[in-house]
Amino acid sequence: MKEMLPLTEAFYYILIVLYTEPSHGYGIMQDTEKRSGGRVKLGAGTLYTALNTLLGKGLIEQYPVPEGADSRRKMYAITENGMLVVEAEIARLEELLNVGRQALITKKG
Amino acid sequence: MSDKLIKRRRLTMSWNFEKEEQWLNEMSRDGMHFKKASMASSFFAKDESVRYTYRLDYQTGQKLGSSKFQEYIDLYQDAGWEYVSSYGSLWHYFRREWQPGEEPRLYTDRDSLIQLYKRLQGVMAVMMLVNLVIMLANMVNLRNFFSGDRLWTIGLPVTVLYLLLFGVLGYGCWRMQKKVNALKL
Repeated sequence: MKEMLPLTEAFYYILIVLYTEPSHGYGIMQDTEKRSGGRVKLGAGTLYTALNTLLGKGLIEQYPVPEGADSRRKMYAITENGMLVVEAEIARLEELLNVGRQALITKKG
Repeated sequence: MSDKLIKRRRLTMSWNFEKEEQWLNEMSRDGMHFKKASMASSFFAKDESVRYTYRLDYQTGQKLGSSKFQEYIDLYQDAGWEYVSSYGSLWHYFRREWQPGEEPRLYTDRDSLIQLYKRLQGVMAVMMLVNLVIMLANMVNLRNFFSGDRLWTIGLPVTVLYLLLFGVLGYGCWRMQKKVNALKL
């Protein structure tokens, strides 16, 4: 699992979006842009490749499209492994942030 | 707008797909919108009232008309890309209406772009290997052609053709590697 880290921004955002709830490709795209304040816009090719890679590694899986929803759009859900990976990534990022902030404080102090 | 397609020579190689994009975009600016590609030609429809931004995508393992392929183009369509056509079920052409100051891309981060170049490189490497096997197999058959005046009529031309193919594929692999290296820190 550790060899998955660090995650690229695309992987990270896809997993974070799916951590909240299952979604389809278009939903992931929109949610990523919204959550990043418009900074991260996933290109169609980037998203498509990333979804296939994450499926292949078992971090996400197909999710049955609920009744009444647009059945054309395939849906994805995060797996147990996917959750573990994204949690490990958050812990890693926290460490990086703390070390960095500490350095800034020490310098100013 | 007319339905007649206009044919133009197409001389780009696989590793130069960015150049092909650029060409299609310039053609579109002049009112000639790409419709489909064949081995050596591209076909355009004339329409002065629109302008598109074209992008090429490379995907292996896609069967045109399959449900997987439909999902693939649906996702791109959701992202605002209109599917135009495919060449050899490997190259897929997409377009969206051109907007001033906008440079929309299919691949927006380094990692997925590296993956794309590596996919291309992988296919060229396999083709090189296949070419090598075919060449060796033919060499055995052609051994008797390399004697006497047959050397000049068959032996040498065939060898030159193989070497040329090797050169082209090898150059393609090398170009991809350069692109990958340029993206890596």
